[in-house]
Amino acid sequence: MNTVNPAADPTPGAPVPAEKGVLIGDEERAEAAAAPAPAGRRARRDGAPAAQPGVATTGDTSQPVVRIRGLRKSFGDLEVLHGIDLDVHAGEHVVLFGPSGSGKSTVLRSINLLEEPNSGSVCVDGVEYGPGLPGEKGSGKPAKRGKPIELRRKVGMVFQQFNLFPHLTALENVALPLRSVKGMKADDANRKAAESLRQVGLLQRAAHYPGQLSGGQQQRVAIARALSQDPKVMLFDEPTSALDPELVGEVLRVMHELAEAGMTMVVVTHELGFAREIGDLNVFMDAGVVVETGSSELFDHPTDPRCQDFMRAVR
Amino acid sequence: MGITSYDWGLIWDYRSELLHGLLTALEVSVVALVISVVAGLGLAMVRLGKAPFTWIAAIYINVFRGMPALVTVIWIYFGVSLVLGINFTVFQAGVIALSLLYSAFMAEIFRSALQAVPHGHREAGQALGMRDTRIFFSVVAPQAFKIALPNVGSMFIGMIKDTSTFTVIGLLEVVRVVQNVNAQTFQPFVLYTAAAAIYVLVAFAVDLLFRVGEGAFSTPPKGVVSKMLRGRKQRRIEALVAELA
Ligand SMILES: Nc1ncnc2c1ncn2[C@@H]1O[C@H](COP(=O)(O)OP(=O)(O)O)[C@@H](O)[C@H]1O
Ligand SMILES: [Mg+2]
Repeated sequence: MNTVNPAADPTPGAPVPAEKGVLIGDEERAEAAAAPAPAGRRARRDGAPAAQPGVATTGDTSQPVVRIRGLRKSFGDLEVLHGIDLDVHAGEHVVLFGPSGSGKSTVLRSINLLEEPNSGSVCVDGVEYGPGLPGEKGSGKPAKRGKPIELRRKVGMVFQQFNLFPHLTALENVALPLRSVKGMKADDANRKAAESLRQVGLLQRAAHYPGQLSGGQQQRVAIARALSQDPKVMLFDEPTSALDPELVGEVLRVMHELAEAGMTMVVVTHELGFAREIGDLNVFMDAGVVVETGSSELFDHPTDPRCQDFMRAVR
Repeated sequence: MGITSYDWGLIWDYRSELLHGLLTALEVSVVALVISVVAGLGLAMVRLGKAPFTWIAAIYINVFRGMPALVTVIWIYFGVSLVLGINFTVFQAGVIALSLLYSAFMAEIFRSALQAVPHGHREAGQALGMRDTRIFFSVVAPQAFKIALPNVGSMFIGMIKDTSTFTVIGLLEVVRVVQNVNAQTFQPFVLYTAAAAIYVLVAFAVDLLFRVGEGAFSTPPKGVVSKMLRGRKQRRIEALVAELA
């Protein structure tokens, strides 16, 4: 059983009893068990030919949960993504890293369509969206488009700035989308929300407002909020970058447990130690392109000079 | 009657007339407040929306922000009524004038309040798969309302003060009452001092009321009112936690 036992609660005052919880429900756990073990997936990359040349992938041949093809994105005249191809398979943990401004956030935000792709396509769990590839059959017309909201409901996202709703308690933050998206009754939503808070070790903080929680606790509530929607994939955009150093650990611990539980994850992070632990596929980005990908050996032996420079700079 | 003899007892003698004038002023203001809050919110959303509607909203806002209450009420009561062929009562004319003017101010207040809600909250709602209308009503509007509340209070005080100009169309508000009493008693200093005091006291009371309201919407809850409003919810959450712990 996967449990999360976050560190002693950093808020001074009332001590909070340690909570035990299950990160994912029974259904998901069964699915995760049926999926190949992470160790096998990690090893498979060596030797296994990539499904398509130039596509960042572990080489898993199953239908990917997230498939990005030819993704281009411009802000005004400035193109910031110059064609990204990425596969994320069930249970995989993909780490995006690279210098600031290289387009990591834009890739994540394109996956749940907070950014509209200018070209290429994004497909999550069979729902495809995007203008398609140039030269693709039937190009000129938009390719088959799923509804953005349909796609978003399959994706959970955790932001650098937490983005909790400050006028709602921790419990209501989690329960509101359960009611409005999943159509749950208030009582059921509250119960499920409380369970999600228990999973991140914050059940005792359910009645607190975000302003009464530390940054680390707020981010854990944000994780619980995204998680309670039962997403197919969780996206993390520098989830610990806005935290005081002593609060980073509790958030990484929750993410680590989530990874162990088999959640499919795409993580943008500068915490390369953490990346090394969970990353099945590590993707180095620079200036809007994927420069180099690999398993954890990428951190020890980067081959591209840009990646080498970056590794030297962060070390 | 010498210039130095001030009959302060007049205020007590005419208390029911003065009170009636105050109630009339408050009635006009409250009705106009409700209308201009609703209309102002609508205008703000149009103003934040797409062309050409945003331009129309901008023109409206800039015209009516610039118009004095006195001119507006005369324009409605003597001018617009003629054009439309509707005989507005003085009460109606007052409400219409205030609503037209203060919708413009409210629109600006709500626009800046809506813009003050961090964009990330909207994105978080979208990322959770919430629909735009739901994000607006459950995430953005409550926060914007809280931000706007103190300014809405100031506007309400302004509205009450502006009703004093409606004496020109014969609305029996505070100033009109004072003028009538003065015509019989010739005590302008006493009576206009009373009028001024009424406005100041009302402004003070409204300010207090909105401060309590602000406290009620603060998070975490502050003050007796908010504890009363939200204590039950808080206890329900705590009971659920206790049950599951
Ligand atoms: N909304 C936006 N408008 C204009 N430029 C943007 C916007 N968002 C990102 N950019 C630009 O796109 C590039 C990539 O940004 P981003 O994806 O945030 O990089 P990273 O997350 O790797 O730091 C940067 O040059 C950034 O300035
Ligand atoms: Mg970024």
